[in-house]
Amino acid sequence: MESGSTQFFFLIDKLRIQLLNSIEGATEKDYFQEEISPFDSGVGLQMSSGHSVTTVKSNCLASVTKFAQILKILSVIYRLVQSNSYATKRDVYYNNTQLFGSQRSVDTIVDDISCMLKVSRRALHVMATSKGLIAGDLCYLEEDGTRIDCRSSSAAVSVSSNVSGIRNIVSSAKFVMIVEKDATFQTLLNDDFCRKLSPCIMITGKGVPDVNSRLMVKKLWDTLQIPIFALVDADPHGFEIMCIYKYGSVAMSFEAHSLTVPSVMWLGLLPSDLQRLMVPKRSLLPLTRRDENKLNSLLKRPYFASQPQWQKEMELMQQSKVKAEIQSLADIAPDFLTSIYLPNKLRYGGWL
Amino acid sequence: MLQEIRQVLRLVVLMSKQGRRHGSGSTGGLLILLWDEEAGAQRLNCTVAAAGSWCSGVEIKALQLDLKGRMFPHVSPSLEPDPEDLIPFTELHGSLRLLLSFQMKDARHWPSDWQSDVEAVLQAFSLANAGIQIHLKLKFAQKTSVRDFRAKIKAKVSRADQPPLLLDVSCPEQKRWFLSKPHGWAKRASWCQGGHPVDGGRLPLGIPPQAMDGGLLGDLSVRLVTLLHPCVLQYPNMPTELKSIKVLVYNPCNIPVSGPSGFFQTLPSSMDCQHLGLRGLQCPAHKDPEFRVGTVFTTEQWENEKKCDDEEQESSHLPVQQSLLLFLLLQHRNPFCSHLSDFVAADMLIEHHLEEILCNNKPAVMAAIRTEIGNAMKAQNQRKKQQEKLNSAAEVILSSTMSIVSCSSNVDFRNACFDLMKVADTHALSSHLGESLRRVMSWRFLPVGRCYSTQMEENLLHHGSTKSEI
Repeated sequence: MESGSTQFFFLIDKLRIQLLNSIEGATEKDYFQEEISPFDSGVGLQMSSGHSVTTVKSNCLASVTKFAQILKILSVIYRLVQSNSYATKRDVYYNNTQLFGSQRSVDTIVDDISCMLKVSRRALHVMATSKGLIAGDLCYLEEDGTRIDCRSSSAAVSVSSNVSGIRNIVSSAKFVMIVEKDATFQTLLNDDFCRKLSPCIMITGKGVPDVNSRLMVKKLWDTLQIPIFALVDADPHGFEIMCIYKYGSVAMSFEAHSLTVPSVMWLGLLPSDLQRLMVPKRSLLPLTRRDENKLNSLLKRPYFASQPQWQKEMELMQQSKVKAEIQSLADIAPDFLTSIYLPNKLRYGGWL
Repeated sequence: MLQEIRQVLRLVVLMSKQGRRHGSGSTGGLLILLWDEEAGAQRLNCTVAAAGSWCSGVEIKALQLDLKGRMFPHVSPSLEPDPEDLIPFTELHGSLRLLLSFQMKDARHWPSDWQSDVEAVLQAFSLANAGIQIHLKLKFAQKTSVRDFRAKIKAKVSRADQPPLLLDVSCPEQKRWFLSKPHGWAKRASWCQGGHPVDGGRLPLGIPPQAMDGGLLGDLSVRLVTLLHPCVLQYPNMPTELKSIKVLVYNPCNIPVSGPSGFFQTLPSSMDCQHLGLRGLQCPAHKDPEFRVGTVFTTEQWENEKKCDDEEQESSHLPVQQSLLLFLLLQHRNPFCSHLSDFVAADMLIEHHLEEILCNNKPAVMAAIRTEIGNAMKAQNQRKKQQEKLNSAAEVILSSTMSIVSCSSNVDFRNACFDLMKVADTHALSSHLGESLRRVMSWRFLPVGRCYSTQMEENLLHHGSTKSEI
């Protein structure tokens, strides 16, 4: 395989043109409907205008602590904004661990404040701690002027905690590949995937992605406008993670426009791949009760109205009652993933 | 005089119990008329009249001479009362079921405050017999005074194995703390006019040998009922402090008995006060007018660490002082008692040997009293914990808010904050904000279905202005 050949990336380039055309053809109305529905295939999951109001009382024993937590975080945010400094959510938590009790409390309240004030979390000067990694044909400058080069073949770069401050993005990548798990990402990194299939970028959120990882994917799409593929396990959890990148999450639906990339394509591992590639049975796992419940729940989501092929794949999983991780491809051959599966998928348009 | 009045009450109750028809009620009236024939006379006449369903079984004509002699050894026949004094009573309660008059001699030997003693006994009687309206009329030394004892709010306490009890649960005037607050910040609030009795159940008592030798046989037990005043259920964040415990003992006729002082003097030492959350219990050395009947204990609480200098702050921080009324209602059953005289004798024996009865059952009675006090303290301690949580949160809320305001460089914003709280600077803002916040927290009102609510008059601040609530 010649990674730089025009032939190899023909279908990817063609996809890119299709995507660009679909963007140009979209009107404002597609994105900003008068009546915002909870789901829009062009945006993803959005907060509906008919929002519910939660009242937090200072004189109610059940909510007084939350009231205090909210005011405390507001005062922290106020100081940060005033001094034009930034802090992570972790920093905020350690400001008063006894008051907050857990990191989760802080995270929830920061999101609530962001939604209440209708501003991005970035505007609150509270940054999420990044957990994602990125590698490949990409260089950019951080807000403070630090130059980041992701082209090292052996080590990945942590996703910036200030994605909106990134500038001067330089890349000749043909596509971006979102990898669900860190284990798969490391495997690809060790197998020199980015050089073999250069030019490309791969990114992982290490499972359910944090906001910064999602922002980074969004930024790459907005800046480079190249196809974005998702490589997830063939199980309901993997599918859900892919949907978070593509359509967003309920928790962050108020920021859908800045976080979702509806053009994400499902590269693999498809349920139909398991049959087609004759993945050894010992590598297949039965769906648990939890998997089945999640699968049923996913099938009820509004995503599938615009993705009939996805629905077919999920129904296939439902019928076969099996799931598989990407690592199962190693049972076919140790380097099957990077040498056969991915190159063929990318070359011959094996995405949905 | 007190003795005789109590004997009359005993007689009326026992007679009405004996003769009561199935399904007859427990309401009606009781008139006690005390008058002297002429000014300076040392004899006092007493007329007791009863009417209503509570005494429907009374047949005064059946009162035998021997019983009369036993119950009223120091009385003489009396003149009939002025019918004019009876008319208002009969108009209110219907025709008389009982009219009994007698005369007391040697009034000069009576205690100077005998009237207060009579009133105290009738007041205590009214508490446990709330269906009966008691009218006390004194025409003495050319003065007439009338005092009515009636329950504004009644509550029925019933259990499957217990006779129903109708209690007067009205909150006493002196306990209505809301009205005494000089600075009204709750614009329209309701307060509960009554209390909510808690039935502590029945405790069997062993009859001591001395009482048995005297002829007291059968089953003896005591029923414990507690009543907390004032009720603050509708103010879940209001801290409370149990200030006093009043123990009232009633004989099987539901008539309050005095003492047994010896037994109750040992109560403070028998209570595990620390376990209850109290520093101690004290029995007052002297008898205040309020405490003529029953035994009253004042509690010693652990002092609050915070001392407030500002009077206004202090008044809003002070816990609501509550009093616990503990009814000990003796009950007696003897299947061999059939005549009125048997019941009277048993009742009198119980009163006579009350001290021994309670001492004979001291561990059980003390444990039961401890349980009832403990339950009242549980509620108080729960509120204290809640108060700590609220105070802790209030500190954070106040410091966070002040941090924003004091750090703000926006003059308009700062002025808007000052104007809202009607203060001139951040120091005053902090003080008023804190007070306002604590007020909002403490005065949180949640209506409770079983409370006897009324609208409170809107109180204006003494300086005539009102402050906005945050």
